[in-house]
Amino acid sequence: MSEATDVAAAASSRDPAVGLAAVAALRRLAESLEELQVANARAQGWSWQQIADSLAVSRQAVHKKYRRIVS
Amino acid sequence: MFERFTEKARTVVVLAQQDARERGDSAIDTGHVLRALFAVPDNLAVLVLEGFSVRQADVEADLAARPATAPDGSAADADALAALGIDLDEVRRRVEEAFGPGALDRPRSPKRRWIGGHIPFAKEAKKALELSLREALRMRHNYIGTEHMLLGMVHGEGVAHDVLVARGVQLDVARVIVEELLRGRRAG
Repeated sequence: MSEATDVAAAASSRDPAVGLAAVAALRRLAESLEELQVANARAQGWSWQQIADSLAVSRQAVHKKYRRIVS
Repeated sequence: MFERFTEKARTVVVLAQQDARERGDSAIDTGHVLRALFAVPDNLAVLVLEGFSVRQADVEADLAARPATAPDGSAADADALAALGIDLDEVRRRVEEAFGPGALDRPRSPKRRWIGGHIPFAKEAKKALELSLREALRMRHNYIGTEHMLLGMVHGEGVAHDVLVARGVQLDVARVIVEELLRGRRAG
């Protein structure tokens, strides 16, 4: 099955259990990727402000969330 | 419920938590508790296991041989994402191509685990602890010791149950051994 039809199937699924589980999984994946990319950006010398701009969030938000994990 | 725990039983809980933390696991499961039982010197649970010829090295090996349960339910996530047309394996593959193996599942957000040093009990572990209370009440004991914790794990479900039962530990026999050992202790 092509991706397009898969997406269509999920989007048209009216079963909340399916739809909500997909959203939750997507959020966890996004969180993992965000942490990885923030660490990578810091390792490459990006400032918190640059990272915040790219993520479209405030500098305070990104700093508060990651300062303990990422130096 | 920990107020009825003996000092050794409390130590087991603390060590199980430490073990979970050191392994980067997000919950304390019965495997952590079982390992911790062996780490506390001179406790009844280990004596009971000796009665079944179950040794620490065997248990360690059995536990190590079991596939790690994905703490974040990544298998379920993979299914959920597949419903959206996202192939988690493919995402993982590409991320690892750029960042190296395991890049997507390194221990996440250690700060969340470290706050207050608290790691939650997994469902089976919680249940096993409840069952240890029940085992204690059954024997009319007003405390929960390592022996009751062991019985609770054999009684309940989870990795410890699976490993111990596979090694021939039987609940009813284990109960008899506990009572025998306690009689011996009281007598002597």
